[in-house]
Amino acid sequence: MTPAETTTAGGALLVLAILLPAAGILASFALGGRNAEKIALGSAPLALLIALAILAEVWRSGRPIVYAIAGLSPPLGIALRADGISAAMLVTTALIIPAAGLYARAGFATPPEKRESRKALTFWIMLQAISAALAIVFVSGDLFNLYVALELLTFAAVPLACVEGRAETYAAALRYLLFALFGSIFYLLGCALLYGAFGTLDIALLAERMRPLPAVTAAAALMTAGLLAKTALFPLHIWLPPAHANAPAPASAVLSGLVVKGSFFLTVRLWFYVLPALPAAGFDAILGALGSAAVVFGSVLALRQARLKLLIAYSTIAQIGYLFLIFPLASGLHPWTVDGWNGGMMQVLAHAFAKAAMFLAAGLLYESLGHDKIAKFSGAARAMPMTFLTLGLGGLSLMGLPPSGGFAAKWLLLRASVASGQWFWALVLLAGGLLAAGYVYRILAPALSSHPVVLKAPPRRAGEAIALTLALVAVALGFAPESFFQLIAIGRPGLATAGLP
Amino acid sequence: MSPWIIAGFVGAGLVGLGLYALVVNAQPLRKLLAFNLIGSGVFLVFGIVARRGAVGPFPFDPVPQAMVITGIVVAFAASALAVALMLRFAEETGRVTLDPDVWTKPKPDDGAEDQ
Amino acid sequence: MTALGSFLLAASLAVPAAFFAACFFPRRRDAALAWQWVAPVPALLAALAALAAGPFDLEAPALKLSLRLDLPAALLLLVSALLWIAAGAGAFVDRAERPERRAAVSWLLTMIGSLGVFVADDLVSFYLFYALVSIPAYGMFAFDPSPETQRAGRIYLAFALLGEAFLLFAFAMLAVGEPHGSLRIPDVVAALRGSPWRDAALALLVAGFGAKMGLVPLNGWMPLSYVATPVPAAAVLGGAGVKAGVIGLIRFLPLGIPLAGSGEALAFIGFATAFYGVVVGVTQQNAKAVLAYSSVSQMGVIAAALGMALAAGDPDAPALVAFYAANHVLVKGALFLAIGAFAARSARPAAWTPLAVALALSLAGLPFTGGALAKAVTKPLFGYGFAAVLASASSAGSAMLMLHFVSRLPSLRRSDATASPEPLVRFWPAAAAGALVVPYVLLPFVGSFEDAFALSKLWDGLWPIAVGALLVVWLARAAHRLPRIPAGDTIVFGEKAFNRTMSSGSLFDRIDAAFGRWPAAGLALLAIVLALAYATAGAG
Repeated sequence: MTPAETTTAGGALLVLAILLPAAGILASFALGGRNAEKIALGSAPLALLIALAILAEVWRSGRPIVYAIAGLSPPLGIALRADGISAAMLVTTALIIPAAGLYARAGFATPPEKRESRKALTFWIMLQAISAALAIVFVSGDLFNLYVALELLTFAAVPLACVEGRAETYAAALRYLLFALFGSIFYLLGCALLYGAFGTLDIALLAERMRPLPAVTAAAALMTAGLLAKTALFPLHIWLPPAHANAPAPASAVLSGLVVKGSFFLTVRLWFYVLPALPAAGFDAILGALGSAAVVFGSVLALRQARLKLLIAYSTIAQIGYLFLIFPLASGLHPWTVDGWNGGMMQVLAHAFAKAAMFLAAGLLYESLGHDKIAKFSGAARAMPMTFLTLGLGGLSLMGLPPSGGFAAKWLLLRASVASGQWFWALVLLAGGLLAAGYVYRILAPALSSHPVVLKAPPRRAGEAIALTLALVAVALGFAPESFFQLIAIGRPGLATAGLP
Repeated sequence: MSPWIIAGFVGAGLVGLGLYALVVNAQPLRKLLAFNLIGSGVFLVFGIVARRGAVGPFPFDPVPQAMVITGIVVAFAASALAVALMLRFAEETGRVTLDPDVWTKPKPDDGAEDQ
Repeated sequence: MTALGSFLLAASLAVPAAFFAACFFPRRRDAALAWQWVAPVPALLAALAALAAGPFDLEAPALKLSLRLDLPAALLLLVSALLWIAAGAGAFVDRAERPERRAAVSWLLTMIGSLGVFVADDLVSFYLFYALVSIPAYGMFAFDPSPETQRAGRIYLAFALLGEAFLLFAFAMLAVGEPHGSLRIPDVVAALRGSPWRDAALALLVAGFGAKMGLVPLNGWMPLSYVATPVPAAAVLGGAGVKAGVIGLIRFLPLGIPLAGSGEALAFIGFATAFYGVVVGVTQQNAKAVLAYSSVSQMGVIAAALGMALAAGDPDAPALVAFYAANHVLVKGALFLAIGAFAARSARPAAWTPLAVALALSLAGLPFTGGALAKAVTKPLFGYGFAAVLASASSAGSAMLMLHFVSRLPSLRRSDATASPEPLVRFWPAAAAGALVVPYVLLPFVGSFEDAFALSKLWDGLWPIAVGALLVVWLARAAHRLPRIPAGDTIVFGEKAFNRTMSSGSLFDRIDAAFGRWPAAGLALLAIVLALAYATAGAG
């Protein structure tokens, strides 16, 4: 057994990453009114600084940074850990949340005649709550802690989905909540079984003690299924389109870009960090097959939607499908798992930025046109070139065309599937790209025509700039240097023995 | 039959009942009750785990008990949120159901009204 | 010289990119558009420098680009830059006739791709430029609301994306097959020979590049596209754009060591395409469609030449085929401009027709034209057997097709599809003459004049023309008995199949609705738990 883990250099940063948004929530409650918005936006640069500091420290030391809470090492205490993927996700969150926040200033300002409005207060507090919950998800080193973080994430996401307060948003939010609750209770049952078998829920200790017991099998199945329900993997996706498509644009951006990644991140933690000792060929095949079904199914349904936001939401289902190809393509100790891992993680980031940008752009379109019906977009690109440029660049990444993060992800996943002889996934990746091209074409082609359009309001310049910036980040990810891939390999178990190709 | 075996069966039974309700009924309130039933079953399982993990002078392992307490708080919060949502939903529409045919997804041509 | 060469190489992509960037600044936009014909000039200079003292290399790791300008690249880069300059100057200098800004953006992106694809030296750079030369060109269709143009644009895009998908799959195989992790094209192609995926990768490469070159059965988009796009755009797409597929085959086929089987298969596809293009082409009445089928046929000849070279292991093939393709860039570009010129009110058909005939028959190898040089240079690739006979027969077919094209010119009337900016009409004879002369400048780099003008070569060049002329006389008499094949031929079946597939989409709606119900959703959750448990336990 390795010596007990203690706090490393920079460990306190992890506490800060959680405490900052948590303090923001409390302060927003206490001060109320307009202050919530100021606190949410004012703390954003600080959160970004903390995330960057964590990233720099992980990069500098070349290994995960750890904080043992109250100085107690696991199994007695609880550890916070940040490795390469944690750092990357923290920075992503710290970029997308403020982008959504800045975009939302127009729609969620407290009205001047009121001291406080429920809608505005809810939005700004829940936005900070999502950032707090995601921070815990990304740095927790303990499965029970992660359960609490997941629940917090749900409790923050559900009000955001129905902050507009219309009947169908309540229906969608209720459905979302119940689905998520069943998912998390399955996860909790799995936790109980694991604790019963090994006497700890610390990720590092569990990984050391792991043996293929029947209880572990049951726990793994329950926890994974619960997480799949929260990630909206086909066929457990039904809550996602109404929830994401009916939420206000900045909320949709956060929900689609970040929140579903939280439970995916946890699935990855579970299988690559806790359970790699388990024989998982059949398991990987199931997740890969469900992911493939999601790619085809989500894309075809996206092709058939009449409303832009529903189209983008179904596209999220397809893009989530790609993420699950990481299980057949990155597990085990083969050289090609490096490509599979890098591709999967690149897909997480590329989709986060591209999808957030597209939802924000869809919101701008709605504001200016008064609807988001694709059939009535004729000529809109001439009136709102920036917005359609954003949709086009986001679409570029979704299609996996160069130069974009989506292309980098697809290229790496393809290489892994060819190198491992798993042809089927390669066909899914290529077919998914073609279908994505189909639905992006549906958005853009009519808009490019020279049909005259009358805008209800000119698009907000600031909103357009924010959405375009996010889309440009998704494109820039295609130029990610080799050091980025070295970063996300830090702390990944089994990599040292796998070696580089 | 030792008490914790019985507790185990009761826990399993609760989870089973909850799962049955998860599948069969589209009433959200029943879903919420099903969630709480499964939750109770899970907490019982945690209790058994705590009993079996007893070491030294303690009759129980305190860690799972702490988890159960946290879990109960979380489940309570979840139930409160769900009930609040249902009440608002009922206020708006006069009924509460998860049947997609009743509240329906936004229809293709009513986009202008439902943003 | 090498430093200068690398600098020019960088500039040949950076300058068009700068013009593209300038389009996003309203105050710079007008100047950028008026002067955009200057953008390919660095590429022209780089190509000249490479012919004089090449090859040059350039690495830009931050942009993940690595470039190499060697002889085949220089030949194609030179003539493509000339075509882009000529068509761009004609289309953009005159403010009144300038295409709108959005089409100009797509023009510049396509230009970057078209020039870059010749010099890309690693898989990822190549794929990037290949995507640039294919996808943004959709902008040349997108802004015209007519249903025919929209249809052509859709079909163009579908084929472009399909080709990209084939290529990406092939590139993944190439990358994985290279044992040292190199992505440079020569390395991955060298490793392809021993790769377990050799045949699959070759098939995908031919399918991917074939979709760009219009090899049968992936030829249907080409006539529709050229008929639908304006004359300058058709000239650069049909002249320079298509060569992205040619340079692809030149770069990625493992030429140099005999590879029987694959080589013959490619040659078969090539010859089939060459004759198919002629047969369908002569039934066409639209001059642009005739030119498109001529392109199909010529690309078939190129594919056949490369197939024969692959089978024989001919290491000289890249430069020879590049020369043939370079001639096609010039001639096809000038012929598309001819359509605009002859349709214009200021046309002077009597004076221009001889020039048009010479240009058209260059593709059939009329002696003393660039085409004759190209045929002479590539003749060794076909050997002296059956393939040589087929090659000569395809020349005769080309002669017939091109005479048919010339016969369409007098009846051209000015319309949207044939409108050409005034400068392109006025300077058309100069462009045509340039297309006939430039191959003479390039010939010394790949062959010798003694060879090209040997008496036997003259005879080789003349008899297919004579046969073609006889055939076209027959064609004029038989025209009314020929079937009217719609432009795009087999594409009609493709569209039907596509629509049928689309109509099955409602099945997906029903599945979605089914999973939307609680019992199904709950059962799905339980089923996944059980399946995962079974899979994990079963393996242990």
